[in-house]
Amino acid sequence: MIEISNFSFKYRESDQPVVSGIDLTIPDGAFVGITGAAGSGKSTLTYALNGIIPHCYPGDFYGSVVIDGLDTCDVVLTDVSQVVGSVCQDVDSQFVTSIVEDEVLYGLENFGVPRDEIEGRVSRALADMGISDLRDRVISSLSGGQKQKVAIASILALNPRVLVLDEPTAELDPASSQAVFDLLARYAREHGTTVVVVEQKIALLSQYADLLVIVDEGRIRFADEPAKVLEHSDELKRIGVNCPRSTTLMNRLRAEGLYGGASVRNVREAREALKEVLA
Amino acid sequence: MIEFDDVHASYEATLPILKGVSFTIRDGEFVAFVGTNGAGKSTTMRLVNGLLKPDAGQVLIDGVPTTELRTSELARRVGFLFQNPDSQICCNTVREELLFGFKALGQAGPEADERVDAIIEEFGFDADDDPFLLNRGARQLLALASIVVLAPPVVVLDEPTTGLDYRECAKVMDIVRRIHERGTTVIMVCHDMEVVADYATRCIVMSDGTVVDDAPTFDVLRNRDTLERASLVPPQIVDLSFELARDMPQLAETAVARANTVDEMLAAVAEEARTTQDVERSVCA
Repeated sequence: MIEISNFSFKYRESDQPVVSGIDLTIPDGAFVGITGAAGSGKSTLTYALNGIIPHCYPGDFYGSVVIDGLDTCDVVLTDVSQVVGSVCQDVDSQFVTSIVEDEVLYGLENFGVPRDEIEGRVSRALADMGISDLRDRVISSLSGGQKQKVAIASILALNPRVLVLDEPTAELDPASSQAVFDLLARYAREHGTTVVVVEQKIALLSQYADLLVIVDEGRIRFADEPAKVLEHSDELKRIGVNCPRSTTLMNRLRAEGLYGGASVRNVREAREALKEVLA
Repeated sequence: MIEFDDVHASYEATLPILKGVSFTIRDGEFVAFVGTNGAGKSTTMRLVNGLLKPDAGQVLIDGVPTTELRTSELARRVGFLFQNPDSQICCNTVREELLFGFKALGQAGPEADERVDAIIEEFGFDADDDPFLLNRGARQLLALASIVVLAPPVVVLDEPTTGLDYRECAKVMDIVRRIHERGTTVIMVCHDMEVVADYATRCIVMSDGTVVDDAPTFDVLRNRDTLERASLVPPQIVDLSFELARDMPQLAETAVARANTVDEMLAAVAEEARTTQDVERSVCA
C-alpha cells in the first residue's frame, strides 16, 4: 500500500511549492495512471514515490510518503529502491551498459542477488517483456520500442513491489505503446505488482488504469475510476487534459439528450453504448 | 517539389533502411508520414534535408539532386524541426536563437531583425528569456519559430508533438497549420493518428523501408489492409465507425459508417436516432 498524506514539495530554487496538499492512497496491485498538463507536478509526484525526493533533489518536504510501511524520509534511497522500481522518461539516460543481458544483470548484481538466482531472474524478466531474443543485442542498435522493453525488463528483474514509469511510451508508435501497456498490465496481474504510470496518452491510461489521477497546478483535481473522471471532459479540457475522442463523442451525445449512460473510456465501450442508442 | 526516385539508403552498408522508396510531394502540400518505429520515416526525412545521401536512386529538391546541393542551399530550401528541441537550440536568449539561422546563412541585418521581432510577437515570446529554462512545450515552439522565421518553402517536422500536453500540442499544430495556409509545404512524421487526421491532407505509409500506401489522409486511415500491413491504429472515430458498421450491418450505407470526426459522428448518430424514432412513431400510429 502507498499512502501519500498532505504531501507538499518546494524545490530549493523555486519560489513556490510544485505540489501541495497531495493525499492519495494506492492499494496493493492497483494500476494507477497519472496525467495533467505540462508543469502540473506529475513528475514530481513520481520522484516522491521512488525516493528521488527527498534524497536527491533538495527542497522543503512537508507531509509524508509511506510505501509498504517505509516512510521515504526515514530510510535511505537504496531501501526505497528495493521496493520501488523506476523507469525514466528518457530510457537512454537509464542504460549503464551496452548489451541487453548486461543491463538486466546490472541491478541484480548491485543488489547482491545470489549468483544462482541471477540467471533465472534475467531469463524471466526478458521473457515477461517478450524480448528473450534480444538478450545478446547491442542496446544502441535497438528500436525505441525495444529499448523501452529492455529498460522495463531490467527493473522487473529486481522484483519490485511497486513499478513507477514516467511516460514509458512517449516515443513509441500506437501499436508498440499498446503492447507495452498490455505487458505491464499482464505482469502486474500475474505478480500483484502495483503500477504507477505518468502519461500524456489519456486514451491508454483510461483503458488500463483502475485509478486515474489528474494533477492540476500541483494539486490532485480528480482521482477516481477512469469513467468517472472522464465525465468531466469540459473541465479536463480547461486544465489542459484532452479526453479520448470516443469519450468526447458520448459526453456530447449525453449533453444533447441522445444518450443517458455513463461516460465511456474507449472505442469498445462507445460501440456498445451506441448500439443501444441506435437499436 | 520533392521527388524520391527508387531511393535506397542505409547507415551502415550491411543494414539497409530504405529499400526503393518513390514519391513526389508538390509545393504547398501537407503530408504526414506514418508507420511503426523503425519503418524508415525518420531516415526519409534525413534524406529530404540532405543529412543523409541515398546509396542508390535520387532525391530531388526542385529538380536538383541533394547530392549536388550545398548544405546552406538545402537549409535555405528545407527547414527541419527535430523531435527533441534540445537537439537544435544552442543560444543563450530567445532573440539570439531566432537570429542564429540568419547568421549561419550570412543574412544577418536589419531585415532579419525585423523578421525576428515579428516572430517574437506572433509566438508571444520574451526576447530575453533563456531557452534552456523554458518548459518542453515552449522550447518546441522556439525550435519551430527558429525555422519559421527563415521562411523556408518546405518544413520537415519529425514528431512535432511528442512529449507535449494537449494545449502545447494544439499551439504547435495551429502554427504549423498557419504556415501551411501561407503556402509552405509541410512534411510531418507523426505517430498520433488523431493529429494526422486533424491536420494532414495526404498520408504516406511506410513499413520495413518501403512505401505501402500513399493517398488522401482519410482514404489511408479507412483502408483496413493498409492499417493491418503497417500495424497502424486508426483514429478513434474511424475505428468506431468500422466497428458499428461491422456489428450493425443496417448502418453500413449510412453516414455513421463514414464518419471521420466527432462532429460527423455526432450528426450521423443524431440523424439515425431521429429516423428510428420516426419509424417507431409511424408504426404506433
